[in-house]
This record gives sequence, C-alpha cells and structure tokens, in this order.
Amino acid sequence: MSDEKEMVGYRQQPGKLPFARPGSGGKNQFSQLRDDELIPESQGGKKKQPWGDHRHDELVTSSAIGKRTPLYDAKWKVTGQAKYGDDIRLSNELIGKILRSPHHFARIKSIDTSAAESLEGVVAIATGADATAKFGVLPVTKDEHALAVNLVRHMGDLVACVAAEDEATALEALKLIEVDYEILDSNNDMAKGLEDSENPIHDRGKYHIGESNIQKRVFQEFGEVTNMEQKAVASHKANWHFQGVNHGFTEPHAVAAHWDPRGRLTIYTPQQVPHYLHRSLADVLEIPMHQINVYRTFVGGGFGGKSDPFPHEMCAAILARKSGRPVRITFDREEVFWINRGRHPSKIEMNLHADSQGRLCGVATDALIDGGSFASFGHVTTYYNGVLHTAPYEIGGFHYTGARVWTNKPASGAMRGHGAVNSRCAVEVGLDDLSEQLAVDPMTFRLANLLPPLSATITGFRITSTGMRECLEKVRAASGWDEKFRKLPLGHGIGVGCGFFISGSGLPIHWDPNKFPHATVHLKIDMDGGVTVHTGAAEIGQGSDTVVAQSVAEVLGLPLDMIRIRSRESDTSPVDLGSYSSRVTFMNANAAISAAMEIREELIEATTEITGADKEKLVIGDRRIYDKTDPAVGVSYLEALHKAQEERGALVASGAYRTPPMGRAHKGAAAGLAPAYSFSAYVAEVKVDVETGETKVLNVWAAHDCGKALNPLSVEGQIIGSCHMGLGQVLSEEMVYGRTGNLMNANLLEYKIPTVHEMPNVFPIIVESNDPEGPFGAKEAGEGPLLPILPSVCNAVYDAIGLRVNELPITQDRMHQNIEKLCKEQGVSDPLELTSPSIEYSQLQEILAKRAEEHEKRDKERRNSENVEPYHNGALFGYEATIPPEEQSNEWEVSVTPSQEYLENPRLAGSAWKHVERRHRSDA
Amino acid sequence: MTKPGHIPMLPQADKIGWSASVNGKSVSKSVESNAILLDVLRDYVGTLGVKRGCDMGTCGCCAVLINGEPRLSCLTLAQEVNDTDITTVEGLADGTHLAPIQETFAIYGGSQCGFCTPGFLVVAEALLRSNQNPTKDEIKTAIEGNLCRCTGYQPIVDSILAASEILSSNEGTIDSTQHQSDPHPGFIEEDN
Amino acid sequence: MRTPPYSLHTPDSLDDAFAIVEGLLEAKEDFDWVAGGTDLLPNYKWHLNTKNHVISLANVAELNTLNSTHIGAMVRLHDLSESEDTHPLIRKAAASVASILIRRSATVGGNICLDTRCFWFNQSEEWRESIDWCYKCDCGTGADCRVIPNQNTLCVATYQADLAPSLMCLDAKIHLASPNGKRVMAMNEFFSLDGITRNVLEPGELVTHITLPKNASDFIGDYQKLTQRESWDFPEAGIAAAWKLSGGIIEELRICSTGLESIPRLHSDEANTAISNWNGEESVEKLAESVRKAIKPVNNTYFNPRYRRKMVKVLTRRCLKPLKNL
Repeated sequence: MSDEKEMVGYRQQPGKLPFARPGSGGKNQFSQLRDDELIPESQGGKKKQPWGDHRHDELVTSSAIGKRTPLYDAKWKVTGQAKYGDDIRLSNELIGKILRSPHHFARIKSIDTSAAESLEGVVAIATGADATAKFGVLPVTKDEHALAVNLVRHMGDLVACVAAEDEATALEALKLIEVDYEILDSNNDMAKGLEDSENPIHDRGKYHIGESNIQKRVFQEFGEVTNMEQKAVASHKANWHFQGVNHGFTEPHAVAAHWDPRGRLTIYTPQQVPHYLHRSLADVLEIPMHQINVYRTFVGGGFGGKSDPFPHEMCAAILARKSGRPVRITFDREEVFWINRGRHPSKIEMNLHADSQGRLCGVATDALIDGGSFASFGHVTTYYNGVLHTAPYEIGGFHYTGARVWTNKPASGAMRGHGAVNSRCAVEVGLDDLSEQLAVDPMTFRLANLLPPLSATITGFRITSTGMRECLEKVRAASGWDEKFRKLPLGHGIGVGCGFFISGSGLPIHWDPNKFPHATVHLKIDMDGGVTVHTGAAEIGQGSDTVVAQSVAEVLGLPLDMIRIRSRESDTSPVDLGSYSSRVTFMNANAAISAAMEIREELIEATTEITGADKEKLVIGDRRIYDKTDPAVGVSYLEALHKAQEERGALVASGAYRTPPMGRAHKGAAAGLAPAYSFSAYVAEVKVDVETGETKVLNVWAAHDCGKALNPLSVEGQIIGSCHMGLGQVLSEEMVYGRTGNLMNANLLEYKIPTVHEMPNVFPIIVESNDPEGPFGAKEAGEGPLLPILPSVCNAVYDAIGLRVNELPITQDRMHQNIEKLCKEQGVSDPLELTSPSIEYSQLQEILAKRAEEHEKRDKERRNSENVEPYHNGALFGYEATIPPEEQSNEWEVSVTPSQEYLENPRLAGSAWKHVERRHRSDA
Repeated sequence: MTKPGHIPMLPQADKIGWSASVNGKSVSKSVESNAILLDVLRDYVGTLGVKRGCDMGTCGCCAVLINGEPRLSCLTLAQEVNDTDITTVEGLADGTHLAPIQETFAIYGGSQCGFCTPGFLVVAEALLRSNQNPTKDEIKTAIEGNLCRCTGYQPIVDSILAASEILSSNEGTIDSTQHQSDPHPGFIEEDN
Repeated sequence: MRTPPYSLHTPDSLDDAFAIVEGLLEAKEDFDWVAGGTDLLPNYKWHLNTKNHVISLANVAELNTLNSTHIGAMVRLHDLSESEDTHPLIRKAAASVASILIRRSATVGGNICLDTRCFWFNQSEEWRESIDWCYKCDCGTGADCRVIPNQNTLCVATYQADLAPSLMCLDAKIHLASPNGKRVMAMNEFFSLDGITRNVLEPGELVTHITLPKNASDFIGDYQKLTQRESWDFPEAGIAAAWKLSGGIIEELRICSTGLESIPRLHSDEANTAISNWNGEESVEKLAESVRKAIKPVNNTYFNPRYRRKMVKVLTRRCLKPLKNL
C-alpha cells in the first residue's frame, strides 16, 4: 500500500511517472473490490430494485454508473484551456464580418461592393449570388440562404460578408457596400400572419398555404371530442400570451473555416448538431460531404440555440474558399439575438374540462406560434405544442389546432423544452384552476388521473416507465405542501406543476429508407489498455462525453481515467444526430454499451482461454476478470486484453442504437414519439409584493424522473439549471419588439436573465423509474426539468394573491397592472387588503384520494409483473384497457383534418385551415 | 467615403507600447492607444481563457484580476492598467497543481459549458483571498456581476463554499500544493 | 465590438489634463473625459457620440480623496460603499449600483455625469441606422426624437444614476474645475433639463469632488430603487429621502427622485409643505402622492412610464416609513 501513498499529491513530471505494473492500468495501481451497494440484487448485490430488474443489470461493475462524476472535460474548463469558437486562431487568418439588413422586409435591387473591394486590407467579399442553394435544418422546410437572395426578411438578415486583414478594416468595408433596397410592408403580428398577404415572406410554390404566411398547420382530434363541455362539471378556459425568449448562452456564435491544401474544408464551430451542418454545408457549397470535416469546438452553452446549420457558418466557408485563407467570424451579442432560434412567441387558448368524477374529460388547445422569418425547427414545434401535453394524464378527448406563421422577426426555433414549455404551462395552470373549481387538492387531482407504466397515450405514444406519481409524492412531502397550500398569508404562496418530455426523438430529422442508426459509437483498445471512444455526440456542457465514458467504463470495469473520448471531428467520429431532443444519454449511452459489450465478450473469451474457467461464471470487476464463485481465479484486465489482441492487435468494436418501431399511422404520428419519456413535478414557493408587483421565488422542490441517474451530479446540475432558465421565462425574460418592429433589447442588460440574487433555493430530487430500454435504466434530464417551473410559479402566485396570470413573463409592471385589476374586482383600494385564497375540500376529494390509492397499487403491479397487458388511454373512461378505444367505439375520434363544421367557427390558429394549399386549389 | 451617419473605423489609432505582468510573466506589446484590455489579452497576449460574452459589462465572462482585484477587462482601457499585475484563469493554478477553487468547480459541478467559468473563478479566487470563510450571502454579492446560464448558480456557490473549507482547513494557507489535488495535465496543444 | 478610433490621453495631474484640454480647445477638437469607463466605453462600442480624443483621469491621483465630507470624483463606487467614513445613505445608494464588478471600475464623478439613457439611443450603430437615427445621436442627419416625435428641440432621455439623489438630499456641493478656474454649486444646480447637455459643465470642465456639509451626519434617510433584477439594472425609478429629527419633530426633510426624467429632481416644496404640518402616516401618503404628481417620466426605459410613476409613490412611502409614527 506504500506505493499508493506516494501517488498522492505528487508533481507530475513527464517521463518520471512511476510505471504501472502489468495488470493494473489507470492512475490507481490497485484493483478495488466491487461495491456491493451498487450491484443490483438481481446480480447478487445489495442494490435494491423496487422497479424490477433491468436488461443491463449483468453489466454493472460498480465502476462509474450512479457516482457523482465531475465532467470529463471539467479541467480544460477550469484551467482556461477549453477552446471555444472564437478561441480557434488559425495562422494567417482573416476576420470576417457580416453586413445585415437595416429593414424588416425588403427586396434587394442591387448590391455594389466595388468601393469595399478597393479598400486596402479587404481580401474577399461575398453576397447572395455566391451561394444560391437553400438549406435548413429540416429537409422538408429548407428556406434559408447563406446570404440573402433577392429578399431580406428581418432586420439583421445577412446581406453580404467581408473578409479582411483585421476587424476594423472589415467593419469599414461593410460601410462601403452599397445596397439598393425596395422596402416592402413588413408584418410583426402573428395573428396577421394567418391572413392572405400581397407579399408572403416565403413562397413555397404549390405547397404554399393560400397566399398566407402560414408555415405549418396541425389539426388533431382524438377521443370523445364532440361533447367535452357538456360532460364537464368544471371547465377552464384561458387565453395565454407567451413572449419570445432567447437561449441566452454566454458564448456568442463564432466560427472558423479553412480549406486545406488538398481542397478539403474544415469548419470549427460550437455546434450542437454537427451532422446537420455537415449536410447543409455540402448542399450550399456544392461539394460532397466527404470533402468536409466539421470540427466541434467546446460549446459555450447551446440549449437549442446552436442546433441549426447557420448562415454565418456558410459565410465563413465561402469567404475562406474565395480568399484561400482561414476566416474567423465572431458574433457580437446583438447578432446572437438577430439569429435567435429562441422559443416562439405564442398565443395559446387552453380549454380543460373535468367531469363529476374528477376525470379530465377534455383538453382542447389552440396554439398560434410566431416563427419569425424562417422555418428552422418550426414544423416540429407546431406539433409539439399540442402532442406533448397528452400525458402524463389520462384524458377523455383531445382536440388540438396549431399553426406557425412567418413574421418579419428573427427566426424562432428549438429551445430547451422544445415546443412543450408554453402549452405545458397553460395545461398545468388550468389543472390548478379545475381543482379550485372542484374544491380538491391539485396534488390529489393529478395523482388520480395519471397514466400507468407501460401504457399508450391518447395519440399513441408508448410510455414505458413513469415515475410521475413518485415525483408528486416526493415534492408534496419535501415542501410541506399539506401544511402550506391555501394556508399561507396574502403575498405568500405555494404551487405545483408537472412536466413530461421526450427522451430522444423517435424519428431522426434525416431519416432514410436504409434505416441508419440514430447513434453509433466506436471503441478502440490497443496495447496500453486505454479505451478510445469515437462518438459524434456533441458535448455542449451537459456532460455527454462523461456519460458515454461512464457507460464504457462501467461495462469494462475500468476507471474513468482509462477512457478517452474523441467526439470533436466528423472525420473520426461515426455519425451522430447531435445534441437535441434530449437524445444523447438514451441513444449514445445505449450505443456505447453495445460496443462495450462486444469488447467485454472478447475479454471474457480470453480469460476463459487463460484460466480455463467456466465462461458463465466470469464477472468483470475493477480491471480484473474473475470467477464469481472463486474470486482467486481470474486475470487482470491487461492480461486478458493482451491475450485477446494476439494475432490481431487493437480491439475495435462498433455499437449502434436505433429506436424500436412504434407509434400509430395517422399524419403527424411520429411527432413526439420517443423511446421513453421523462416526468417531473415541482413545487414552488413565492412571495409577491402586492404594492410593486415584484415576484420573488423563495424555494423550489424539484423532482425529476430520469429513469436512472447515471451521473447524479449532472442530473442535479440540469435540474437546477433548468429552474434558472425557466424562471427567467416566467419572471423577466422576453424579446421586446417596439412600435417600429425593431427588437428593443438585443443585449444582456435589457434582456433580463436572472442574476444570482433572483435564484431561489432549489432542492433537486431524483426519481429513478428504471426505464426498461434506457441505458442502465436512464432517461433524459436535460430539457424536461424546465417544464414544471413555469406553471408551479404561476400557481404559487395564485396561492399567494388569488391572481391567475395568463401572460409571461410576469414582470413587475405586468403584475402590478393585474393586481390593480384584481383590486377593482374585489372592490378594495389597497392591494394589501386583497383576499388570500383559501379552500374547503368537496366530497370529490375523498373519491380522488381513493382512486389515487388504487392507481398506485395498479401502477406498482404493472411495473413489476412479467407479462403486462396493454393499457390504452381511455380505460379510465370505461373503455377496455387492452384494445385501442377507437377500435371499440365510433364515438372515439381519430382525425387529422378539420370538418366543414369546425371551419365555420374555428379558433385562432385553427383558422389556418380556412386556406387551401395551392396544389389543391381549383385555379392551380 | 462611408455612408452618412456612420462613424469611420479607419485609420486605426496609433500603436503604442503596453506592458504588464500577465500570470507572472512580463509582457510587452505594441497595441492601439485606445485598445481595450480584453482585446489585448485575447488578440495580443494570447490568454484566450479570458472570454468575451457580452462586451458590455453585463456578463462577467471577461473578468481578470488586476493587482489582485477582479475587474471587467471588456470595460478597462489597456493604457490605464499599464505595468500592473494581471491574473487570468490561466494563472490560477500553482505550477501543475490546480487551485482549490478550480478543483471544487470541477467536483461540485460549478462548471457546465464552462464559458463563464474563467470569470467566476477569478472573482471567487479574489473573494477567498480576502475572506477565507465567506457566507452564502457574501458569495452571492461577490458573483452578482457574473452571468451563468447553465448551472443556476447554486453549484457555483457550493463550489466556492467547498474551496473555502479546503482553505480554512489548511489554517489559512492558500498553497494549493498542500491540498491533495490531482496534478492537471499541464498545457497541451491538442484538446481532449 | 470595437470602439471607433480615437486618441487616448492619460495625464498624471489636473494641470497636465488642463494643458491637454487647452491644446484640444485651441485646435477645435472634440473630446470626452473618461473616469471608470463603465458608461463611456459601452457607449463608444455602440458608436454613440464618439469623439476623436478622450482624456483619461485614471492617473490623476488628486481626485481620489475620500473622507466623511469630501468625496473625490475618481473614488470608485465600490470603495465608496465599503468605506466606514461614507454616510450610510450614500453607502446604500453606491452599493446598489449595477454589479460589484461594475462598481469596482465605476467612479463617483462618472456616476454623477452618467449619460442619459433611452431605448432608441442605447443601441448599436446598425440598429440606430434602421430607425434613421435619433435626436440625441443624429450623426449629422438632423434626426427627430423617437420618443416624442415632431419635436427635435429637447432630448428626453432619462437620467438613471443612483448617487445624485442621496447626495442632493444631504445638501452636497459639487466642485468643478476647468483651465479657466474652479467653481462650486449646490448639486441641484448642476443638472440641466436636457437629455443632451444634461448639466452645466462647460467644454473642458470636469467634476473634481463633492463636499458634504458638516451636519450631514445628523441626517438619516433611505434610498429605494425600482429594478427588475437585483444586479446590473439601472434604476427605473429611484427615491432618496433624508431627514433630521429633533425631539421627535422633523426639523428638515429632503426628497429627491432619479431614473424618471432627464435630471434628478429635488422635491423641496413638497417636502417643506409636508413637514410644516406633519401628521404621521397621512402626511407620508400625501407627500408620496405629491412627489408622484411632480414627475413626468416618458416611455424610453424598460418599464412603462405609467407604472414607474405609480411606483414613485410606493418607493417614497417606503423611504419615509420611519416617519410614519411621528
């Protein structure tokens, strides 16, 4: 053991590292015993498995999974060695700058770059004419150009770009470019986007919807939709207005591009989704994909805001090609807001109906979302605003109309909690209102209406594991809910909200008839015993490198320092779809596990060969493979490895993950499909200053079901971080457009991200429902935890002062106006005399509590039994659970196009269906 | 030449000599007379650990220590800090050993995407040098000028508290070699 | 972001500074002073009314004096808020400015002379081009005011500095100097109601220091400000109040507002009327209402003017809370 002591605190000197004896590997020379506390009961260990066994149980070696693990790349970050976009400084580089449109909507009549070209130090200039091919993240809606071709669609739209010897020269050159514009009537109002226009912002040819600015429309009806209102004893209706918000990552976009002497392009960029950039670059530059190497730098925050292929990335490549020199483009903060892709400004009408038994007999949602000037991820967002609130509750009827319109604003896109955040807030606030009307506890109301594990939602999503019930129960206990709800004095309140989110999109954006996998991981192990992991998963700070490393380490029984991740370059990484839709842990860790299992098999084979031990009895521990019945029989990892490498050298393995076939067949059925879903429940405690309207969030109890916390440190980090980001959207963040249509606050002073002082105490609570298909049982934890914070704060505000908010953010001035209105309603002049809400439970409370109890039993039975019968949404309403209700009754609608009757009196977004697509028009 | 209303960017201001001790190393550069410290550190000195988040004083990513005091390098004129002692994130480690605050940021999840981390680290380092046992509120005030979008600040506060415990358990020494930190891999060109 | 090119001068003393000033005035060159830089540099990065010359006061040591009655213009807000010698009211106001990192650079002189702000003005060059500029920074185009159109005679940008109201409530004097000599005046005479000129400083003149009367320590008071967030944000409304009690009677009471108009405003008449006939809570209420009536914010900051005006009443009431039972 004396050797071990010497290892501590020593100074590392190259070449003087004590050489580890064969058989160890890693910094710590000595194998550790397996930690029985981490080995599942199914494998003879002591780890309790209340949710049953898991198919990965036999792979658990107690090496890495479930331990609080610092991020793989944390030390690069704390020493300043992490290189982000603008830190890539290539020798002989030029600085690129972008000329942007000063108009909201205009036709470019001409561009004269001659004066700029003759400025000393200017090396290359590009305009729309240099790259006319369209691109866009979704293949069905490619509507962007590297630089504007013909039309500029929002202020800040890219018009031309310059590469010069230095920044000042590039900036000066921009001022010398003469652009002649014909200004067109611009539109900022999303409702107006539904109407016909003389100059639609885009022209989609025969697929264009009338002459309108509607980019996408959705109609869905499932279940008993015709008489929701009539069946209800309580109904909630609210018209919500959500302002747009920006990701607010700290690193502004930056890119460097360089064509090497063989004519291949390397692009260095902080991308969440390098693969889609790879495809788009090939389209725009008109070169084959194999001539491009996409190098992902460290990413200074993404949250969905770095997941589109971006025009400035194309610009850098074009300028570098023109100039023959590397080009670096870095954004000012203002440009970050102009490229945006943040959460859609939305108008959402939410209708919820509850029947006499306290069941959710109807949900009718109408969501109009403002896409700004490009499609981006909007096609998907339009679906998500509806389909992602069909769980965790069992519902009797679901009606959704959604529409996304183009306006002359910077484009909206995907942002953490993509498409689910705003409508989830509306649902959860509505549930609070329904409970109030029914005079029941909103916790109990929710607990009595949950879908069980292994069930299908009303639109056919497959719920495998759910820890929703546990989340609610845990926050109820931790927050002291029963002592506080409706019992706190005026200005002090508590509220609950839940969340439900996809754990990886079931349908990849670029799907193929050839069934490519979603994620692929390659492993390579050479003589040294270290494992090189090649993965294209984009580490953006969420810990994707770490989770992949942990998964490999766990299966192979290795310490983490023997795993090295190569995830930066498309040249060396297998294709991965990127860091969006909370897919990385689920898909990449699964791919990594399958690759590691191959290696594991080879190591065990080798051990059998050396020791003659029975293969079935061999287990892997820390750098040692041994007979579990006689641990003295075994070999070290390196011995087994070297045996396996005889005759062939390095071991290599490839593992892949693809979602299983799932979902129904209706149009749009794939939107929202995921191999698993995460669930969460939060309780927020707030104080509202009724005189100023200031809302201060004091505490948040945040329970999230992530299946299994592979790295609890990261899961908690995601929960607390989500609270911060969601809190920003509730309290203070909004993109403000002024009367001229300009974005008024494109800077971090006036775009109000909460500071440390606004941050409440967050108590993260991890619930582990052990998903059957997740890696070691894991599901996502990156986006879902954002959803419940918005409604729990809104509901707490109601508990505090009796005010139902329906516009976010609840800035002080808005709140003050609401409070004035409330005073008028209650007939008091001093807001300090407002009535604090109280509650006396009705008889229904008992009924619901009993049902919740029965359901709890039902759920436990379902999750632990071997052969579970199907459970389709609808059983709570008297349908046979095992058969889809539409096969049982004609009353149960399944429809994705509106009826004539609906079109006579549509809701706001629903009115999008009044237009006829050009190809279906008689005059077409 | 340029369009009406626009302010010309050329010719640039004359270059003059600028010198300072950056992370213990004397540096002399010829920079524009009106240069801003952040630009000098990133473009001339090469300390790319200093980050540009907003360039307007509202994110704290660019914070550095000037004579031991945390300052926003994006709002500091280089000429005004001529001949000072400047510490950036690259200068926090003691030789090959990380400072306790660097170590705890890694262990307690104080760093996620890491872009704001350099700013937080120098601010925290300055706090701990002047106050070895800060309260939560004192920590919050010290970091109120730094924006973090990933962590929700809580793990950052925890990291600073943990570092203060390491420091005070060593009876006041901030010699990080006393702390049993992992040696970090030194300065290598190739990223992970 | 890059500031446009300019020559930076770094004199070591006031005399040196004034020598530079005289040279520039003679050559008819425009220039700005820079103290801490936390106001000027963001404005320069946005290309707002930049000049060809900037004179830095960073090395002028004689402006650094700080004691209980003398506050040098180059005293940093952080030092001011941390100093035991500083009046508690001023400490509170200083500690509330922006963020601690800003306060470590920002100075007393810079805060008092803070440029007025407006959301049509505090924007980048490209942004302002898109609205065809504005009156406060018309870039030679003769542009109109964007807040109140069709009047390009008065800029209504808002003065959003925190220190002035507290200093005014403590009856501070402001000391100015220029190559032509020195002058001193009451703080409220220093400001002039115009978002562009803002104050009485002549070309080449600067603030050297603030003095407080000896009896300032007899006054107690409070400063309340309205912001969305606790750090970074400029005051959307700010009320300072200071009073001197003698035997349970309010002998003197001063109230001053900031963040609401182009200048900080001392509400002497309103305060004097109130104390002539003080009646506890009722007087607080009346006084708060009269201060609210006296100010006229416009729509050019984060919160709307209607709300800011209403909050003046709440903030005043909160400042005066200790006088409720007198």
